Formats: sequence, structure tokens, C-alpha cells
Amino acid sequence: MTTATETIPAPKRGSFFGARVREAGWGYAFVLLPMAVFGVFFIYPLVYAIYISFFEWGILGKVKGVGTQNYHTLYDDQIFRRAVKNTIEYTVVVVPLEMALGLLMALVINARIRGRAFFRSALYFPSLVSSAAITAIAIYILNADGLLNKIVGGHRSWFGDPSTALWSIVGLNAWTTAGTVMLFYLAALQSIPTDVYEASALDGTGTWRTFWRITFPLLKPAHFFVLVVFGIGALKVFDQAFIVSGGTGGPVYSTYTAVLYIYNEAFKSSNFGVAASAGVVLFVAILLLTVIQRATVGRAEIG
Amino acid sequence: MLQTSVAAAEPLIPHRARSEVARRLVVYLLLVAIALLFFTPFIWSLSTSFKTLPETVYYNLIPHPFTAAAWKSVWTEYDFKRYALNSLFLAVTVTVINLFLASLGGYAFARLRFPGRELLFLLVLGTLMIPDQLRLIPVFVMLTNWHLIGNFSGYILINLVTAVNLFFMRQYFLTIPKDFEEAAKLDGAGYFKTFWRVMLPLAGPAIAALAILQFQGTWNDFFWPLILFGQGNEHLYTMQLGLAQFTLTYQTQWPLLMAGSILAILPILVIFLIFQRFFIAGVTAAGIKG
Repeated sequence: MTTATETIPAPKRGSFFGARVREAGWGYAFVLLPMAVFGVFFIYPLVYAIYISFFEWGILGKVKGVGTQNYHTLYDDQIFRRAVKNTIEYTVVVVPLEMALGLLMALVINARIRGRAFFRSALYFPSLVSSAAITAIAIYILNADGLLNKIVGGHRSWFGDPSTALWSIVGLNAWTTAGTVMLFYLAALQSIPTDVYEASALDGTGTWRTFWRITFPLLKPAHFFVLVVFGIGALKVFDQAFIVSGGTGGPVYSTYTAVLYIYNEAFKSSNFGVAASAGVVLFVAILLLTVIQRATVGRAEIG
Repeated sequence: MLQTSVAAAEPLIPHRARSEVARRLVVYLLLVAIALLFFTPFIWSLSTSFKTLPETVYYNLIPHPFTAAAWKSVWTEYDFKRYALNSLFLAVTVTVINLFLASLGGYAFARLRFPGRELLFLLVLGTLMIPDQLRLIPVFVMLTNWHLIGNFSGYILINLVTAVNLFFMRQYFLTIPKDFEEAAKLDGAGYFKTFWRVMLPLAGPAIAALAILQFQGTWNDFFWPLILFGQGNEHLYTMQLGLAQFTLTYQTQWPLLMAGSILAILPILVIFLIFQRFFIAGVTAAGIKG
């Protein structure tokens, strides 16, 4: 027992550093596997994609270095230009639509009503459905003999007509994304203190005016968040365009999106170099959007 | 008659209350309209899946004759059973591994002190900015070189853990009081044991939310299965990839196509009906981020 009293202080002093070292050791051990995954499958591919974009690269691998040739190819390629145009048009229309619909739904759900949880779940549900299933259902509803034509009249194949195909994807995705947007707006609405409304109610301000004068401006951070996050999501549109056109981006390139271009350059034309450079262009566009958001919102929020 | 009774009742209802009633009426009407708009496609698809092909030219909602032939057909004659099993296998595997690695890393970043922690964490957050569409080409080239295209391991490998999941777990661990770990330490529990036996059970709600969202994400994934299995590996087709292929091949076989689509939705619908709270809490937390 005398040995015990003697030995306790000694390891105690050493254990301060020992414990720190041990804690750090376990810390590294815990993050080792996740960091390896991020390193090998995220950070390395980022560098590798940029590298590949400077090569002529086929299905069998590297052919030869071509400098910035792949980027010039992109710039001159009418199909790439069309893909960028489609993607931008799609994004510019779909995002405000998702925001308006999501905000409307959030406002309605946020009103003190019975069955709130039920309605919230019901409106959110389409957001959970897989793109493949929802697109199959849309193809069915929007075909020439489909339910939509039965309701609105006419005999248009919505995905088969170049003037409506992209806008049909806009409608489809606005429907399925609005539920998620709604959840973000709901969270933001609930963070607005109620005394703000009470003050405006005392002033006798109407519901409509209260919304435009008070609620809408107070939601500014939420607007920015949703705009950027869903704007980035919209730039990546692919699944629906791929499925409705069978990967062709048709009819007549009307549903050809930027990511579809990347896919087809790689897997149809085996131009991995050009595909990688298109990926880099998309990445830069997304990065710019994110930087703009950070700068405007000016907070350490991560999107 | 009606007018007079309304007029008579009017003075009894204060002005504010009347406008409140009108407001609620508008709210309910809007809700019902949106809900109908949102659910008509699903109900219509469900109805069609129980019809015969000739009957799909009519627009009746109740199938007549009512037949489950399309359902039986996609499950037995076509490959939807295999698609479902493939998807189930991938979704479960990816979810379990994500849960483990995201918790492990999330816990370390939340609680353990080690040099370079902040820098490493910044790196993790940085990966959030790298889109899958950029990783597509390099990852495909890497997996091809390693002969991991044409089996499930490539898919699992690139989906072992995501930054979103790790971040989500870290944020949750930060909210757990330190007392629990200190108590465990006094009991002589080591770091891993403290994590495994004390912290992980405490993170139950976060783990449930993450499990549900990750399962849904993998089950619904179309992009990576298309890239990794879509180049001639039909035995690896997942539910979504198989369904997309089926859509392109049997575009006008509506009962079959709708049965397949509902089948692809069904597991998520069931999970959602049981765990809707976790879904909604998870999406909001993962987006807003503490």
C-alpha cells in the first residue's frame, strides 16, 4: 500500500501529457477512415478531374496532353452551348417556382390549423420519391393520351414536343422539390418572434400587407439559403432529362442538360477529357454561387 | 331565408373573428387544393397498376376488372425482384457503414482534442462543395483501373461516408453534456468504449434520422448506379436503374410501368409513414446546420 501512495503522484504528472497524447492518438484513429474516404474519393478526384481535363483521354486511359484544347472544344461545341443554355433556362425558371410554391405551402401550414402535421407530411411526401419513379409517373400522366391532356384538352405529348419538354421537367421538379423548400421556410418562419406579428396586428395591418411588409423581408436569410442550395441542385439536373429522353437529350436537344453532356461525352463518345473539362466548368459555376452566398449572407453557415 | 339568418347572426361575431374564419377557410381550401394536386398522380398511377392494358384507355379511377396481374408480372416475369434485392443490399450496407464512420468521425471532431483537428474538419466541409458530377469522370477512371466496375464494391467504396452525415453527427454530439463522458472516464472506460457504450446510445435520435435519410438516399440513387452498373451489368441493376431501363423499353405498358414505379416508391412510403418525424427533423437539421 505504501507503493501505491508513492506511485500515484508520478503517473499523474506524466499522465497529463500522456492523456493528451492518448486522446490525440484516439482522435486520429477515429477520423482516420473517414478522412481516408474523403481524401481518396473526394479531394483526390477533384485534382484528378482537373488533370484529366488537360488530356485527350479515352476509355482505355490517357492518350496525350492537349493543354487547354478540351476547353476550347467545349466553347466551340454547339451541343455544349445548347446544354448550358437549357440548364440555365431550367434553373432560372425552376428555382423561383420552387421557392414560391414552397413558401406558399409553408405559410399555409404555419397558420394555426387542425391536422398540421398531416398536411406537412402529405406535402413533403413527393420530395421523398425517387427520380426514376416520379419520372415514369410523369411520362404516363403527360403522354399524348395521358391524364393531363384529358383534363386540359388537346393531344400533346409533353415530353415528346421540343417546345414543352424542358418545361415539363421544370413542372415535374418544382412539384417534387417544393416540399423540401417548404421545410426550410417552415423552420425560418418559426424563428420569427410572434411579437412582430402582434405589433402589426395592433396597427390593424391586413394579412396581405403584413406578409409583404414584415414576413417576406424577415425571411431574407432563408431566401438566400434556398436560392443558392436549390440553384446548385438545379444546375445538376440530370435524372429526369436522361429518363424522358433515353439519354439523348431530345427531342432535338431540348432536354440536353450540362450533366447529360458530361455523361454522353464520357460514355457515348469516350471523350473523358472533354467530359472532365465540362465537369470542371460546372464545378466553377457552383463554386461561384456558393462564394456569392457566403459574401452576401456573410455568416459561417455551410450550404 | 339564409341571408336573413346570416345577417341576424352578424353582430354576434366580432369583426376580427369573422376575418379569422375567412382566413382559415382560404387556408383550408388552399391546402386541400395543393394536396389534391400533389396526390392525384400517385393515386392515378396506383389505379392504373391494377388495370389491364386495354382498360388504360378509359379514364375511370376504379379499375374494372380489378387485377393484380401487372404486379405479379413485374415481380416474377421481369427482374424487379432482383432489382429490389440489389437495392436493399446496397441501401442497408451503405447505411450501416455510414452510421458507423459518420458517428466515429463526428464524435472525434466534436469531442476529442488533437492537433490539426480544425484544419481536417475544414477539409471535410470543403468536400461538400465537390459535386458528384465532377467526381464522375475521375472516380469512374479510378474504379476502372482497380477493376471495381461490374461489382458492388465500387459503389460501396465511394459511398462509405459523406461529409453531410459526419457533420450531422458532430453537431449532435456537441449538444450532449460532457458529464456522461466524464462519468464513463471515472469508471475507467477507454475512448472507444466511451464512444461505443455511452455516446452512441445517447445519439439515438440523430442516428435514427441519419439511418432513414441515408437509406432513402441510397434506395433512390439513380446517378451512381447508372454510371457504375449501367455499362452492361444488368445483374447489378438497382431498383431505380432497372425501373428507368424498363421505362425506356416498355414505355406504353402502363399497368406494368406503374406497378414498377409504385414498387420503387413503396419501401420509402412505408418508412416515411412510420418515421415521418425523423425525416422532417433530419432534413431541416441537415440543411440549417446548428
